[in-house]
Amino acid sequence: MIKTNAIPLGKISLLLAILFWLALLLVDLVRIFGVINNLDSGISEEVTWGLEILFFFFTYFLYRHIFWKSKQVDFVTLLWRGASTGLFAAIAGLLTELIFYALGDSKIGKDPFLQTIFYHLNFAWSSVFLISTALLWKHLILYQKTKKVVKQWQVFELSMLTALFFIFFNHNNFDYSFLFGLVILLVISILLSANLKWIPYLKFKEKWKTLLFLFFILLSATLLFYRILAYGNEERFQINLTDNLFLMALFGFVIVYGLFSFLVTLFNLPTSSVFEQKLTEALNFQKLSQSIQPEENEEQVLDILVDSCIGASFSDGAWIALNPTEQLKIQNPLRSIEPSTLTELTALLPAEFQNWSLTPTNEFQPYSVRLKHPRYKSALLVPLLVNKTLLAQIVLVKEVKEGFNKEMVNIIGTFARQACISVENHRLLNQAISSERYQEELKIAQRVQKALLPLKLDHPNSFDICAYSNTTDEVGGDYYDTYQVDEHKFVFIIGDVSGKGTSAAFHMAQMKGVFQSLIQLGLGPGDFMIKANSALSKCLERNHFITASIFELDTHSQQFRHARAGHIPTLWYSAQTQSAEYIVVDGLGLGIVRNQNYENHVQEIAGNYQPGDFLILLTDGILESRNDVGEQFGYTRLKELVESYPQLPPVELQQAIIDSLHQFVGGDGMIDDDYSLVVVKFKERK
Amino acid sequence: MLQIEKVREGDVLILQLIGEVDASNSVLLDQSIQESLQPEIKVVVIDGKELKYISSAGLGVFMSYVDDFSERGIHFSIFGLIQQVGEVFKILGLDRVIAIVPDKTTAIALRK
Repeated sequence: MIKTNAIPLGKISLLLAILFWLALLLVDLVRIFGVINNLDSGISEEVTWGLEILFFFFTYFLYRHIFWKSKQVDFVTLLWRGASTGLFAAIAGLLTELIFYALGDSKIGKDPFLQTIFYHLNFAWSSVFLISTALLWKHLILYQKTKKVVKQWQVFELSMLTALFFIFFNHNNFDYSFLFGLVILLVISILLSANLKWIPYLKFKEKWKTLLFLFFILLSATLLFYRILAYGNEERFQINLTDNLFLMALFGFVIVYGLFSFLVTLFNLPTSSVFEQKLTEALNFQKLSQSIQPEENEEQVLDILVDSCIGASFSDGAWIALNPTEQLKIQNPLRSIEPSTLTELTALLPAEFQNWSLTPTNEFQPYSVRLKHPRYKSALLVPLLVNKTLLAQIVLVKEVKEGFNKEMVNIIGTFARQACISVENHRLLNQAISSERYQEELKIAQRVQKALLPLKLDHPNSFDICAYSNTTDEVGGDYYDTYQVDEHKFVFIIGDVSGKGTSAAFHMAQMKGVFQSLIQLGLGPGDFMIKANSALSKCLERNHFITASIFELDTHSQQFRHARAGHIPTLWYSAQTQSAEYIVVDGLGLGIVRNQNYENHVQEIAGNYQPGDFLILLTDGILESRNDVGEQFGYTRLKELVESYPQLPPVELQQAIIDSLHQFVGGDGMIDDDYSLVVVKFKERK
Repeated sequence: MLQIEKVREGDVLILQLIGEVDASNSVLLDQSIQESLQPEIKVVVIDGKELKYISSAGLGVFMSYVDDFSERGIHFSIFGLIQQVGEVFKILGLDRVIAIVPDKTTAIALRK
């Protein structure tokens, strides 16, 4: 497979730069050959200049590429590269001079070809050094760049480009226009030299290295500058490559910015620790503000906090005092303090330090106290408030008097608040997780409770029955059930537990147990209520009761028996009279009177039913539902509704009641109580 | 919304309930009765004139005090219930265990 690599710009630039340099050398050699042999080589000066410019260009592209690739490299390494290039160029220049000095007036020493080759080599090294260093300066100037700085740099680059071609107009004369151009470029260089934002970010040690490397760069630049000036003064070369505005301005720029950087770095040395301190504080702050990771805990936050506080205040020791009522443990609460010293110091602290029930105000700031201790002279108390309670207090101590200045107190206060927010967030998150778990549990409860209501209602062919139940919370306290006693005897019950929600749901489950066990004993409705009251009295909470309504039907004799325990009266529709009535019968709710006396409070009635009659058993949620003006659905409304639909089968009648209820309450009105409905309709005998 | 006004007249404690008692504020009613039960109280009267609605949880609170009051010899009664609320007491049968009377005078007179 052929790989379509990106064009190797660096290598191409390097190759072209070398080629143009060689061409430049060749042209000059040919020209010298011509001069020596009195021949006109016919090569104009412009060719040399053109080749020189092309050499500059590709060197520039080469280094631009190198810098582009080394974006992540730190400043000191870059400076070292610049310094090493400079030293190489400078030493090579010195060596050249030494060689020629050694050769003296010998034939080789005077050989114009050899001199030209060395001149060209020196020119190349100097140019490479200058261009690479200028690009290094660019990298430094544009650190934390703003639009303005970028503009300034662009102006400078454009001016340099102009200076590059200046030679075609000026023909290498040192005239006023040359001087004028040089001055303008120097002014821009000085303006650019104000951008030294990279220096404060250097650590103390790095600053020393930077100073050293800058010194090397400046030294190399100066040495090279003098060499090139010396070359310029010699008359032996046909064309002077180095006396051009571009190179001179580059020298100016490299030296000016190098000098500024050197001086600023030098003067930054003493304040360097302050900046480093602030940077560490910012990092600590960031650490604290990151919400606690799942694997971390509150103790770790406190650990980070103590270390940050010590760092910010240069404390000689510290410890964390935890509120004994909080469930917190810290592995090592002491920092550079002996347990015995801790006891001594605690005794010296103000009394309110020990008072954990202090009602905290919002202005709970760190406060400093004076200590009368042989070693420690001042202390700073940092209270940590989470959810308006005192979680812990950090005590920072110093061996000097009044060792905590306003800035320290402020930054420590900020640290403390941030740590508290982190702890609070952590707690909230945990709460959210556990509440999620409760929701799951409630869903299970809901499922279990649904299973307590019968899916299939026992009934013979002689009557139809249907039931519906709605709960506002996940679980509720409404109950209905059926039981077939024998071939002709059927029992059905509806119940309502006082209160709402989970407690009501538990009591409803008890009611189901009571019904299913007692009804198998063949108890009649009245006796059932008495036994149920006795059973429930032992397990219901004192302020809870259950109301119930029970029917026993004999389909053979078409008779019914009924008892009511404080429940909403059942609505009876008689086909014969074509009207509905609530069955009035005395009966006290279950669990209200918890002794034998209950027998006197329950009544059982009996009667006959006819085909076409129907029964509506319901809970108070239906009758007590209110519309937007606070009016209750009520007994009468239900009675009239039922009377208007005598022909409907039970399921449809039930739906009609539910629809009517929703319509009454209003479009988005919530029915805020549990409600249930059982409809029983007696059919024609076949 | 439920507001409870307490008035002491000698050994008579009158609690006036204003608003509605439902599952959410029945605890408030319970606390209120609990707090005002000083040993010297002999008569507890609930003024229900301004009681608009009471849920089963609210009825449960009254119910839970019935035995307690009779053991301590405290006369407990409710007066002035509006028809709708009175109906709720009646259906549950609570009127058989708690004296529901028309007015305050009758309520206080019950002790004799």
